[in-house]
Parts: sequence; C-alpha cells; structure tokens
Amino acid sequence: MRSIASLLGRRVLQALLAALFVSSLCFFMVRFLPGDIAFDIASGRYGQEMTTQAAAAEVRAELGLDKPMAAAWLSSVSALARFDLGRSYTLGKPVWGLIREQLGHTLQLSGLAMLFSLLIGPPIGIIAALRPGGLVDRLNLLGSALLRALPPFATGIILIIIFAASLHWLPAAGHTQRGTIILPALTLALGLAAVSSRVVRSAMIDVARSAYFHFPLTKGLPLSTVVLRHGVRNMAVPVIAHLAMQFVYLIEGAIVVETLFAWPGIGHALSHAVRERDIPLIQGAVLVMAILFVLFNMVIDLVLVALDPRMRAG
Amino acid sequence: MMGGWPRRIAAALLIAIAAFALAGPVLIGLDPAQQDLGRTLMPPGGGDLLGTDNLGRSLLARLAQAAQISFLLALLSVSSAAIAGVSTGLAAAWWGGWMERILVAIADMMLAIPGLLLVFLLIAFAPGEVWLIYAAISLTLWIEYFRVVRATARPILAGSEVQAARLLGFGATYIIRRHVLPEVAPLLLTLMAYGAATTVLAVASLGYINVGIHPPTAELGQMMSEYFPYYRAAPWLIAAPITLLATGLLCLALLASRDKPQ
Amino acid sequence: MSMALVVDGLNIRSRQAHLVRHVSFAVERGHSLTILGETGSGKSLVSQAIMGTLAAGLNATGTIVIDGVAGPATTPDRHRLWGRTLATLPQEPWRSLDPTMKAVDQVAEGYRSLSRRNARGVAGDALRHLGLGGAERHYPFMLSGGMAQRVAFAAATAAGANILLVDEPTKGLDIALRDAVVALLRAALAEGRTLVTITHDINVARALGGEVIIMLDGEIVEQGPASTILSAPAHEYTRRLLAAEPAAWPARRPARTDGAAILTAHGLTKRYGHKTLFKDINVVIKAGECRAIVGPSGSGKTSFGDALLGLTPVDAGEVTRAPWIATMRFQKLYQHPTAAFAPRIPLGQALNDLISLHRLDLGRVAPMMAGLRLNPDLLQRRPDQVSGGELQRISLLRLLLLSPAFIFADEPTSQLDPITQQEVMDLLMQHVAEHDTALLLVTHDPAIGANVSGGLPLLPDHGRSLLAASGQN
Repeated sequence: MRSIASLLGRRVLQALLAALFVSSLCFFMVRFLPGDIAFDIASGRYGQEMTTQAAAAEVRAELGLDKPMAAAWLSSVSALARFDLGRSYTLGKPVWGLIREQLGHTLQLSGLAMLFSLLIGPPIGIIAALRPGGLVDRLNLLGSALLRALPPFATGIILIIIFAASLHWLPAAGHTQRGTIILPALTLALGLAAVSSRVVRSAMIDVARSAYFHFPLTKGLPLSTVVLRHGVRNMAVPVIAHLAMQFVYLIEGAIVVETLFAWPGIGHALSHAVRERDIPLIQGAVLVMAILFVLFNMVIDLVLVALDPRMRAG
Repeated sequence: MMGGWPRRIAAALLIAIAAFALAGPVLIGLDPAQQDLGRTLMPPGGGDLLGTDNLGRSLLARLAQAAQISFLLALLSVSSAAIAGVSTGLAAAWWGGWMERILVAIADMMLAIPGLLLVFLLIAFAPGEVWLIYAAISLTLWIEYFRVVRATARPILAGSEVQAARLLGFGATYIIRRHVLPEVAPLLLTLMAYGAATTVLAVASLGYINVGIHPPTAELGQMMSEYFPYYRAAPWLIAAPITLLATGLLCLALLASRDKPQ
Repeated sequence: MSMALVVDGLNIRSRQAHLVRHVSFAVERGHSLTILGETGSGKSLVSQAIMGTLAAGLNATGTIVIDGVAGPATTPDRHRLWGRTLATLPQEPWRSLDPTMKAVDQVAEGYRSLSRRNARGVAGDALRHLGLGGAERHYPFMLSGGMAQRVAFAAATAAGANILLVDEPTKGLDIALRDAVVALLRAALAEGRTLVTITHDINVARALGGEVIIMLDGEIVEQGPASTILSAPAHEYTRRLLAAEPAAWPARRPARTDGAAILTAHGLTKRYGHKTLFKDINVVIKAGECRAIVGPSGSGKTSFGDALLGLTPVDAGEVTRAPWIATMRFQKLYQHPTAAFAPRIPLGQALNDLISLHRLDLGRVAPMMAGLRLNPDLLQRRPDQVSGGELQRISLLRLLLLSPAFIFADEPTSQLDPITQQEVMDLLMQHVAEHDTALLLVTHDPAIGANVSGGLPLLPDHGRSLLAASGQN
C-alpha cells in the first residue's frame, strides 16, 4: 500500500505548492500594483473625501507595506499557515467568513448541476454506444459538439430566452425565488453532459471491443453477467478519471454562470473582486477552489485505486 | 466515423473567419466605437449590413473588431504556449534529472489551479490590459504542451529506435527532427486547436464579466452581456456574437478531432 | 467412431477475395488435430468460423458439425455452445484476462453450476493443479506470460467444454514456455478432451501428434497423421516447411577464429533489482568470428549484449574495444525491426540520412538491395508497410553500409515465420562472412545457436543461463 501513501503525498505536496504559489503571487501583486493601493483601499472604506494621508498610512501598516519585503513575505506565509486569509479590501470583513457563505451557494449549485448531468450524460452515452454510428450516436455527437462550442454563459442566455422569457416556466435570475437554481444548474449540467456522454460512449465501446470482454463470453457466461462483472468496472475507470476535468468545467463555469444568473456564490464574488482588485478576496477564493480541486482529485485517485489494482502496484 | 469533408469545411470556415478578423476592420472602414444615438437598434439590411446596436454603432464593424481581438490573442497565446511547452517538454524528456523534476513540480502546481481561475488571479493585477490577458492565458496553456510532449518523447527517447539511431551515429538534432517531432506534430495540431478554443472562450468569459478588454473596444463576451437586455427588441444583436463564437469554436473542435470523434 | 467436430466444404470470402477454399476435416472425440500454416494462410479464419466469431464483412459457407449437431458455417447461435461444448484458449492470454479481477475469480465464474464459494474452491484447486498455487489472488498484471496462459486455460475449460480450440498458443513464447503450453494441451487430451490447434510451429504439431493439416493460401495442401506427414511429406510446401526448421538447417562452414581481438569484456556483472542477471563474465570477441548466446527470455541475454555495446550500464567489470576500429562499426540488430526505425519516415529517407551523415557511397545501396533480395520499391514505404522479414533485411542493409566490425544480433528472427526465418538467417550469415564481421547472436533456440556458432562453444556455456557460466575464456 506504499503507492497509496505516495499518491496522497503527491497530492498534498501539490496543494501546498499551489497555495504557496497563489499567496506569493498575491503578495507581490499588492506590492507592485500600479497606483497607491493603500490610498485606494482607504478611499474604498471611508469614501473619497474622507481619505487622508493618515488613513492611508494606517492601511499601509495593516498591509505590511511599510515592512521590508522579505519579512513581509514571511509573515504572509505564516498567516496562510494559520489559515488567516485576511480581510476583504472592499467589504472590510474577514475573507474566510465571506467565502464560507458563498461556497455553500456554489456547492449547492454545482451539486445540482452534477446530478442533472449524471441524469442526462451517461444514459445518452450508453444508448449511443449500443449502436455506434446509429441515429442516437450521431445526434449525440452533433449536440455535444454544438454545446461545447458555446461558452456556458451563452448557453445560459439561450436557456433564459427560451424557458424564462418566452415560455415563462422558470425564473431567470436571483436566488430568493423558488426554482431559481434550476436554470443555472441546467446550464452547467448541459456543458458537463455534452462531454460525459461522449466519454461514457467511448469507454463502453473500448471495453466492448477488448479481449477481456470477449473471453468471458467464450467461457460460456451470459452477456448480462459479463457486462456487469467485466464491463462496468473497467468502463468506470476512464469515466471516473474524467470527473477531474468535469470539476474544472464546474469551477470555471460557475464564475460566469453565477454572474449571469446573479447567483450569490463564490464565482460571482470572484468576478466582483477582480473588478475591484480586492486581492485578499481573490486570493481566498482561488485558494479555496484550488484546494477543493486537489481534494476532489485525491478522492478520484482513491476511487481509481479501489477500482483498478494496477494503480496499487508500487 | 467522421469523413474528411467536415474537417475541410471547418478549415474553410476558419480561414473565412480569420480573413474577416484580419481584413474586416479595414474593409468595413467604420469606427466600431462611433455612436449615433439617432440610429439605434436598426435592423440588418438597412444602411448597415447587420444593423446597429443600442448606441447606434455598426454591429458589423464591432463584430469584426471583436473577431480581430480574439483571433490575434488566440494566435499569440497558442504560439507562445506551444513554443514554451514544447521546448520545456523536450528538455525534460531529453535531460531528465533534477530539471525534469522541477518542471514537473511546476506543472503539477499550476494544474492544481483551474486555468480560468489562474487567469482571473493574474488579471486582477491590471484588469483590461491586453498584454496581461495574453500572458495569463499563455501561462495556463503551456502546461498541456509540456505534459504531452514530455509523455510522448520520453518512451521514444528511451526506446530502441533512438538507441539504434545513436549507434548509427546520429546526433541530438536528427533524433529530435526525425524520431520525436514526427510523433509529436499531429498531437500538437490537436492541442493548438483546443488551445485556440480555450483562449477564445477565456477572452469571452473575461469580457462577459467586464474584466476583459476595455470598452469601447468591442469584444464578443462583452457584446453578449451588453446586448442581452435587447434580445426582444433586437434579437440579431445577441445572436450575432453567439453565432460567430460558436461557429469558430465548432470549427476548431472539428479540426482538433482526428479519426476518433469524441 | 464418433466425431467431435466435422467441417465440410468450408469456404470463406470477403468482398474482394476468396480467403479459405474448400476446407474439410473431421476430428475424432478425444483426439488432436493441428492446422499448420504461416501468417495469412487462412488457418485462423477456420478457427473463427468454428467459434462463430468471423468478422462482419466475411461470408462463410459450408457445414460445421459440432458434437453430432450439424449447422451452417455461419449461425448466430454458435455462442450457445461456448463454455459447455466449445472452448477457446485466447491468443493473447495476458490481454484476455480482466485487469481488475483476481485470477481465481476469473476461473471460478466459469463453474456456473456451483455456488460462489464452492466455485472459488474448485477454481483454486484447478490453479494449484496447474502449478499456480500462491497466485490465486494475483491480478493479471502480476502474472508472467506463462502464468497468464495457464490461468486462461483454467478459465476457458472451467465450464467443462469437451472441444478445445486453440489459436496460436505459442506465439511469441520462448522454447521453455512453449513446452509448458504443449504440456498443458497434452494434459487436456489426456483428460479426454478433443483438441484443435492452429499454429505455425512444427514442434507444437509434432509434440501433440494426432492428425495434421497443412494450409497454404487458404487451401489444405496436405492432411494426415502427424507421424507420417512430418516425417515423409508429400507436398512441396510441407517439405520446405520442414527444411526450414533450425534443427534441419545444413551445417555452416565455421567462421574464422584466428582474428585479432576486437572486443574484450572483463568481469561483467549486472543486477536488476534483487536479481543478478550475470556475474563476473569474461569474453573475447575476435574479428570475423560468430558466437551465440542461448537462453530463455528474462535470462539477461539482451542486457549482456547491450553491455558489450555500452548501451546499458553494468554494476562491475569493463569492456574494451580495439582502438583502431571506429565507434560506428559496432552495431546491433534488433528483435523487433519495426522498433528500430522512425515509424513515419520512409525507409529510403532513413537510408539516405545515414548515407549523407557518414558521406557514404550511394551507389552501394542498389547492389546490396539485390544481394539481400530486396525490391527497390520497398524504399518508398514506411516501416509498417513492409513485412517483418523485409524490414529485418533492410535493418541489416543499414548496418552493412557502415562496414561493421561487430554485430550484436538480438533474436533477429524470432518474430518471423519459419521459412522467412531461415532466409533471413542465411542472408545474415552470408553477409557477415563477406564483410569479415564478428557476430554475437542471442537466441532462445538451441538449434539456431548451434547452427550459427558452427561448432564453437556457445557463449557463455551450452544452453545454461548466463549466470551459470561465469568466467568463460
């Protein structure tokens, strides 16, 4: 089981390096940002007229801008080690608290999107794989190609025009009304399913063509048994490995889709933060999502190890 | 299986889009930022080929400018990323050792941050600056070239064909040119098509949430967010950038898909 | 006399070609039939027609009678017989086992009438009986090729099929593994099963006995008891096939042994993990001599040759080359010739590159091509577009252009059909003699080793592993 330990070790190292990279990048950004960042922040907090040199100096001290570079960098790393993400420049509140609340909304949206996509993608992929080149397969190929050619916000715009504005079946935006989550979740789900249906299809066809699928049939086992015992597990390996890519799509999609639907998640907050150059908030959001991504990858690693004994070999 | 003709059509369409992007702004000759509040939301076919937008600007001129920005950024980012990724990937596979380990660690580290997030992070330094958008996108794209080139080159360099070539007296340049690059090249074409699509999507996403190219320069994503409210009064406004973007991306995907459609 | 399997008037056609013509034979219950032929003779198509697994574009006509039940050659129902009446041993056992399932479970699922626990018990017994005790809980990737072959055998026969159809069971195996597979098949015969074996290996046919069919270009050219056909063949092709067996090769004139030493190895030692591949070996190679190393796969033969050429690091010892010989004149001929060429570069281009690199005489190529019986048109093609025998001869040509002083030939013919093997080996020996090149041949076949070394002792010692013979010379 040494390989599991080294696999996990690699992921932990990856997360640590990524965290260090993000925080150092943000640290240097604050130092080298064009303009007087302290003055900008102070004016953001107290209003343009109320901002004095004294207020700016106060902010400067708070950011550690008056300290030497090396010392300031070390203290920023140690803050990170204590999970201290600082305060938002624009909102003045601790970043951790803001993110925790937004993350809940984002996870809710992503979870539902994943659920929708699982209901759409794999079943279509399986049907398409039963007759490669058949009608379902071709339609799936076409639909998948079209959906993949649209950025998620464009898919969302089209869905809003159809389901909210024309048919009035669903609310278009916000998060207070009932059912507002459906359209953004569906937007993300369609993008996910466009890919997962093809991945499932390919995996199924590859397995069905393999020697290890054919041989048990010649042993006299019925097709259904062979599919369940030798098909599903082997097919699951590439499909689950692909989930990591789906996670990336969800994170990237969430940023724009949350903005389009005014869904108060971490992506929405991030796009505001970038516009306002609220660096602690950006740092916090990126860090949290990167670490979530690594954790997710870790879970996938473990599932793959459980499925495929070859991964256990050291 | 996909025949040859969809790819040929895709290539032809891409060339048409490229021509529109490169020559369009000059040929059309209209200032895409020129407002005419007396002639807003004019339908296509009138004085302006595609009509005018909410501020009376020529939609065709704006589309051409937007296409130009996306096209040039894609070209620039993809080629920079490919050059950086191919050379680091070859170097890692050739020399191995500590250099390879450091490069792999850097790539692993950056892979932990989904591409668009990294772009956002870097953009925050100076939102709207074109050079920064280019740098940030290139920085996320090179990793894929590095990984693919290294993974392809390693077994070739360790294999018997290269052993045989060395015994026959061939040097590094020959081995790279005849043994490694011919295997890498078809993969690179696929990666470059995907990379171009990723760039166009990223630029549009940035534009859509208003941290991309500065207005009044036209950009596809920013046009979509600006024209969405007028979808009932002037549906062509929102349809035009979506259609252009989707066509371009679809063609790139077709070009990237080889014998095996995904 | 009851027949387990009768094939009557089998014809197989594709859209373009008539691939198998008028094949008829019968196998008695509990007896063995071997179909012998080379790649492309249509022998595998016959086995696929019996199993009912012919590719979709192929059309088969004729009658096939299995266990007394007659049916047309093509029937959608043949799979009903799989496992219980008709079983097959896969050609690539390693790839035919589910990579995610333990060996014992892959065997156990064949015992369908038993409960899960009992099936596991019986499967475990079957594996232990085949000498696989301790490997029951292994996954396929942990098994060697030979072990996978036995697991596949146990799995294929678990459901009790009486007719065993085996397609090329010894392809790519060395002699020791080949003998193990033959023993497995003989054991199946002894249990009373009927055996139909498709092979290109005469040794397999001889060892299995029973009836033999010789196939050439889709037709049966000769048919009868193995004892008769393999000792007194009537057909010209069968005679050539038998003459191509290394044991039947005419003895060669011994290469000269009075040359100066060109390569000296002293105290060569190499370990791989915990295993010692060879230890403390001393060898002197003289100009123009031919030596052979014989041993099973995994015995370190290739590593030894690579060590002589400086292609692999050694743990101890040193190799010295005669200083007056250019580095480029020490060369290697590879087991898989396709793996020695850049796959996408036309062969002529590859040769031209070599010629311009070393400023060689382009005019030498054409006569050498003729001498190696190579068609000049082949140079337009890529390595994957010529046959294995042709490509191996082109590799030889490529080496000869450099006037090598020493060639390390690593199993250069083990992937070829017998007749091609003899042809390539003859050409190799002829050319190394003409160029006064020293040859070190690695082979798993003692007959080839003895033939090539022409009476000189095998390196390092007769047929034993490298390790068993430390300190030769």
